[in-house]
Amino acid sequence: MSGPSPLVATPPPTVGSERRRLFGGAGRLRLRVPAKLRNLELLLLIFAVAIMAAAVLLVQLGALGAVDASFFPFVGGLALLAVVMHVVLRVVASEADPFILPIATLLNGIGIAMIYRIDIAQHRLGWQSSGIRQMVWTAIAMVVALIVLVVIRNHRVLQRYRYIAMFVGIGLLLLPLIPGVGLQINGARAWIGIGARRADGTVPLSFQPGELAKIALAVFFAGYLVTARDSLSLVGRRFLGIRFPRVRDLGPILVIWLAAMAVLVLQRDLGISLLYFGLFLVMIYVATGRLSWVILGMTLFVGGAVAASQLLGYVANRFGAWLDAFNNDIYHRVGGSYQLVQGIFGMSGGGLTGSGLGLGSPNIVPFAASDFIVASLGEELGLTGLFAILALFLLFVSRGFRIAFAGQDDFGRLLGVGLAFIIALQVFIVIGGITRVIPLTGLTTPFMAAGGSSLVANWIIVALLLRLSDTVRAQPRIVVES
Amino acid sequence: MSELTLLVLRLAFLLVLWGFIFIVVFALRTDLFGQRVRRQVGSDQITSGLRGEKPSMAGEQRLVAAGDLNSPTPANALPNNSAPAATALTATRLVIVTGPKSGLELSLEQEPLTIGRATESGLVIRDDYTSTHHARLMLLNDSWVIQDLDSTNGTFLDGTRVSVPTHVPLNTPVKIGSTSFELRR
Repeated sequence: MSGPSPLVATPPPTVGSERRRLFGGAGRLRLRVPAKLRNLELLLLIFAVAIMAAAVLLVQLGALGAVDASFFPFVGGLALLAVVMHVVLRVVASEADPFILPIATLLNGIGIAMIYRIDIAQHRLGWQSSGIRQMVWTAIAMVVALIVLVVIRNHRVLQRYRYIAMFVGIGLLLLPLIPGVGLQINGARAWIGIGARRADGTVPLSFQPGELAKIALAVFFAGYLVTARDSLSLVGRRFLGIRFPRVRDLGPILVIWLAAMAVLVLQRDLGISLLYFGLFLVMIYVATGRLSWVILGMTLFVGGAVAASQLLGYVANRFGAWLDAFNNDIYHRVGGSYQLVQGIFGMSGGGLTGSGLGLGSPNIVPFAASDFIVASLGEELGLTGLFAILALFLLFVSRGFRIAFAGQDDFGRLLGVGLAFIIALQVFIVIGGITRVIPLTGLTTPFMAAGGSSLVANWIIVALLLRLSDTVRAQPRIVVES
Repeated sequence: MSELTLLVLRLAFLLVLWGFIFIVVFALRTDLFGQRVRRQVGSDQITSGLRGEKPSMAGEQRLVAAGDLNSPTPANALPNNSAPAATALTATRLVIVTGPKSGLELSLEQEPLTIGRATESGLVIRDDYTSTHHARLMLLNDSWVIQDLDSTNGTFLDGTRVSVPTHVPLNTPVKIGSTSFELRR
C-alpha cells in the first residue's frame, strides 16, 4: 500500500463516517457506546424511581395503615423530572456518566419519602407541608441543573470567569451579613429573605446563599490553582523532610483562612466555615501534591476553631454538647445536647434493620426533616439502610473523582475533584456531627435534607459533573503540542 | 396490615436498596477490577468486516508482525484457540515515551484510536510533521494494529516505516512526527 489507496485518498468530512466506510464493524461498535451509557442510565433511573415509590408506599402503610392517592405527586413528579433530565442528557451530553443521575435521583427520592413521613407525624398536609415544598424545590433544582447543562457546553468556559467566580462566591458568602437582607435562623446568620417580611418577622422564602457560593469558590480555586500551582509547589525550604512553602506564597491560604474565620465569627456557622476551608485544602493538595499545605492548613484551622471555642459562646456550646452529650445539665440546657442525644436514641432504637418506614418516631428530634434527616433515616431504615445511603454517597463521590482522574485539562480535573469533594466533606460534616464524631454543625445532608438552597446547589454540582464526564469522553484524550 | 407483612416489606425494601447499589457496582466492575477478558467473537466480526470492505486489497491487508513479542503469524491465519494467549498480551495503555508530552499515558479501550492533527482524533499530535488523519490504532484478534492513513511523513514502528497495517508488539516505539509512544500492558 505504498501509493495512495483509493479509499483514503479523499478524506471524508468526519472521522465517524470515514470509520464507518472503512471499517463497518468497528465503526458500528463505536457508535453504539454512547447509547449504551444512556440505556444503562435509564435502567438505573427506573430502578431508583421504583425504590422511591416503594419508600413512599411503605411510609403510607406504616404511618397511615393504608395506601391513598396522595403519594402520586411525589412519585410521578420525581419520575417525570428524572425522565426529562435523562432525555435532555441524550441530546446535550450523550456520553455523560450514567451513574451520577440515578444515584442523585435515588438520594433525593429517599429524602422526599422521609420528609413526607415526618409531615404525616406532624400532621402537616397540603401546600404548607415540607414534603410538597421539597418536591417543588427538587423541580426547581433539576430545571436549574438542566439550564446549566444546556448553557455550559464546555467546562473550560468557566476557567475564563474564575475571578468573577471569586467575587460572586465571596459576595454570596457575605450577603447574609447585610442588614435587611440577611436572616438569622436558629442562631446562624446564613440565610437571606426573599419577598415581603410578615408581621412576625418571617419571610415567605429564605435562601442560603452560602450553598451556591461553594460552587463558585470551587470554580475559582480550580482556575487559580491551575495558574499558581508551580509557584506553590516547586519552591520552598525543606524542614523535617517536608518542603514548606515560602512566606510570600502563604497569601492565598491566609486569605481563605481569614474568610473561614469571618464566617465562623460573623455568621456563626461552623459547618460552612469548615466546608470552605476543607475544600481549599484538598484542592491545593491535589494541585501541588504537597502534604505541607495540608499540615499548615489543618494547624491554622484547628488553632482557629480552638480559639473560637474559647472566645465564642456558641462554639463552646457545640463543643460541650459534643464531648459531654449525656451530661444531664448539658442535655437540658438551651442549645445543649437534647437534639443530638434524641437523634442517637432514635438511631439506637432503629437497630440493625430499623423500625420500618412510617413505624418509628423520628419526629421527636428537632429538625428531623432537615438537619437531622440522617438520624430519622437511621431510625426507620436501621444501620443497614443508613449504610446503603452512605454507600450511595460513596459511589457518587467516587464517580466524581473518577471523572476528574480521566480528565485531560488540569482545570477540569481540579474542578471535578473539588465538586466531588464538596459532597464528600459535607456528608462527613453532617453525619459526623449527628453520630458524635465531630461537633455538630448546621450543614445539610446533600440531596436529602429539606431545604431548597442545598438542593439547587447540589443539583448544579450534578450538572457540572455530568458535563465534565461528557467532555472527558467526547474530547480528544491526549493533545500533544510542540 | 399485619405485623408480619410489614416486617417482610421492610426487609425487602432494604434488600432492594442494596440491590441498586450492587447493580451500580456490577456495572462499574471494569473500573474497579480492570478490563474483562475479551471474547473471540467480536474480533472475528471486525476481521471479516475489514476484509469484506476491501476485497481488492485482500492480499495487501495481510498483517505483518514486527518485533519478536508476538508470533509473526498474519492475523487471518491466527487459529481461534490462540485467543487466550493473545489476550494476556493485549496492551491496555499507550505511553508517550519521547516528545513534548513524554510520560503521559492513556488507557486503550476496545474501540479504535485515531491519531492526527484533527481535533476529533483520540490522540491529537500537533506538530509540523503530523498529517490531519495520520494513523489509526485498532484492535484486531486481541492485538493492536497500527495503520498509516497515507500520511505525508509516515509512521515508524521500531524505525521502519509502516506501509500496511502492522501488529504493534508491546514495548516497541511507534514514532509519529516528533512524538513516539509504546503500548504497554
